Amino acid sequence: MLKMTHLSKVYRTEVVETYALRDFNINVKEGEFVAVTGPSGSGKTTFLTIAGLLETFTGGEYHLDGVEVSKLDDNARSKIRNEKIGFIFQAFNLIPDLNVFDNVEVPLRYRGMKSAERKQRIMEALERVGLASRAKHYPAELSGGQQQRVAIARALAGSPRLLLADEPTGNLDTQMARGVMELLEEIHREGATIVMVTHDPELAARAQRNVHIIDGQVVDLSEDPRFHAAHAAADQAHG
Amino acid sequence: MQIKPILAAMRHHKAGTVLIALQIALTLAIVCNALFIIQQRTARVSRPSGVEETDLFVIRSDWADKSDPRRIDAQMQADLIALRQLGSVQEASSTNSFPLRGTGWDNFIKLQPDQVKMTTDAAIFFADERTLAALGTRLVAGRNFTAGEIGAQQPRDALHSAQVIISKALAERLFPQGSALGKTIYVSMGRTPSTVIGITDTLQAHMTGSWANPYAYNAVLIPARLLNDYTYYLVRARPGQLAAAMRDAPKALYAQSRMRIINAKDGVMSFAQVRRRAYERDVGMAILMGIISVVLLAITAAGIVGLTSFWVGQRRKQIGVRRALGATRGDILGHFLTENLLIGIGGVLIGAVLAVGINLWMVAQFEMARLSLAYVVAGVVALLLLGQGAVLAPALRASRVSPVEATRSV
Ligand SMILES: Nc1ncnc2c1ncn2[C@@H]1O[C@H](COP(=O)(O)OP(=O)(O)O)[C@@H](O)[C@H]1O
Ligand SMILES: [Mg+2]
Repeated sequence: MLKMTHLSKVYRTEVVETYALRDFNINVKEGEFVAVTGPSGSGKTTFLTIAGLLETFTGGEYHLDGVEVSKLDDNARSKIRNEKIGFIFQAFNLIPDLNVFDNVEVPLRYRGMKSAERKQRIMEALERVGLASRAKHYPAELSGGQQQRVAIARALAGSPRLLLADEPTGNLDTQMARGVMELLEEIHREGATIVMVTHDPELAARAQRNVHIIDGQVVDLSEDPRFHAAHAAADQAHG
Repeated sequence: MQIKPILAAMRHHKAGTVLIALQIALTLAIVCNALFIIQQRTARVSRPSGVEETDLFVIRSDWADKSDPRRIDAQMQADLIALRQLGSVQEASSTNSFPLRGTGWDNFIKLQPDQVKMTTDAAIFFADERTLAALGTRLVAGRNFTAGEIGAQQPRDALHSAQVIISKALAERLFPQGSALGKTIYVSMGRTPSTVIGITDTLQAHMTGSWANPYAYNAVLIPARLLNDYTYYLVRARPGQLAAAMRDAPKALYAQSRMRIINAKDGVMSFAQVRRRAYERDVGMAILMGIISVVLLAITAAGIVGLTSFWVGQRRKQIGVRRALGATRGDILGHFLTENLLIGIGGVLIGAVLAVGINLWMVAQFEMARLSLAYVVAGVVALLLLGQGAVLAPALRASRVSPVEATRSV
């Protein structure tokens, strides 16, 4: 589904070159639920933005669904984002001027879907996240957990095969975080491939596979002492 | 296609939306009327005088000694002989006034002697047998005055002229059913009948104010020299010799007699100058309206550029999110163009009503003509295009916002 080989990403400013990713290799298979962990600034978000075709990369190769994406033009990339990928951001990123219904509708409109089908999909997605009754509410009138559920509904409405989530629970309290996590697990069970960046070892532990990034590279978890420390902490928390 | 959510989102930036819509409305209302005024003034300025204007000029001679009308009469006849003898002069005639002069006599014209209200109003030109030739105006019916018919008129005496020549427009106004030739009219308040012996082709009156629009082509030629404090000479130069004739003529007049004043500034005026002076205010008004229109359009365009740029800056995150969710650059461009079009449509709807309102008010206040709806339609199209043009640069900037903006921290 998602395969990066020897991929690198360099941010160039006038004074410095930052290697956000270097010799980055990852292979996420169709239907996998992968949790990405790593310290702050290690390149997790960079990885997700490249995976989600939000940004180009500097070197290496990236095959998404068998397609080498660096050859695609901007419109083709937009189309793939629209049809194959669902995004869930840490800051929810709902459009404040639009109500819940209209927010969920955004990607469907860009797909040029007919009104009747849009409506059906929006209501299905909102029911799925338990917010059908809030369709006419504005984001500011909802709690953080509810906003993130709307964002998930927006990501789901287009039936994406790949769901990319960047610390989806980072701005939520534990209880809300658990609810969001359960929703993602449910979506995963229905066949979607999910890549989720998280700081929360407890949530990471619930994924099928963990990928750890340090300094822009995927590292073997068994060789990283920090991983064991984190796991020990999580185990203790579970008590 | 994206209209509904764009409209819905507008409620969240009402102030700016309303501001721009009102600015568009006001600009449309004013520009429509300004363009209409420009068109009206241009039409006035370019209407024909009925005079062969090239090679024609006028001289005003103010008499130094006004005590004896008979001497004035003799002097005028001597002046005319002197002018006609000049090599550069083709024709000369005396008159009190002429087309486009601005001021002069205009009088009630009646069809019955005891009529209280006027039938119409007309310019009074005191003329001789050479006046039509000097003006270059043809007769379309009847005959010209003969030298023997030319009398003398004291300014304070009642008009009593057995024969008159009238302009075509006046003839048609007075006798719409048949020819005016041979008919009787009453000029001024007098009860003396005047027989129409000739009808000229188009001949404009001296009045240029908009009040006189209905009478602009009404003129009556009276066969007399008006023995006033001053007289005008209408002088036609030989073809191509206007400058020479304008130099020679005042010299010839002074050689005749120095008991006169020919103003150095405007005592001698080519007809081109007469025309320019007559329409100075119209041209000035048209230019002013043009400047106002351009300034308003520029301010409106700048307002749209400014506000849209502000909105684009404010919505970078949201644009990034839309891009992340699958919007192409074209979708983002279309979003801002559509938004502007919707605001523009709101603005021009209000503006069209305002434009008609302003015009109706001017119709009532200043005898303006009714605004042609074509101007409103043209203004609407122009302002919508202006809006789209103004929004283009910021909208293109918006379309270049990277989808990665969606992931940047709040
Ligand atoms: N637009 C950018 N310009 C320059 N440097 C950047 C940019 N985005 C990220 N970086 C740098 O790349 C590195 C990885 O960042 P990021 O992927 O956001 O890390 P994480 O999400 O793991 O915290 C950091 O050093 C960060 O400062
Ligand atoms: Mg990050």
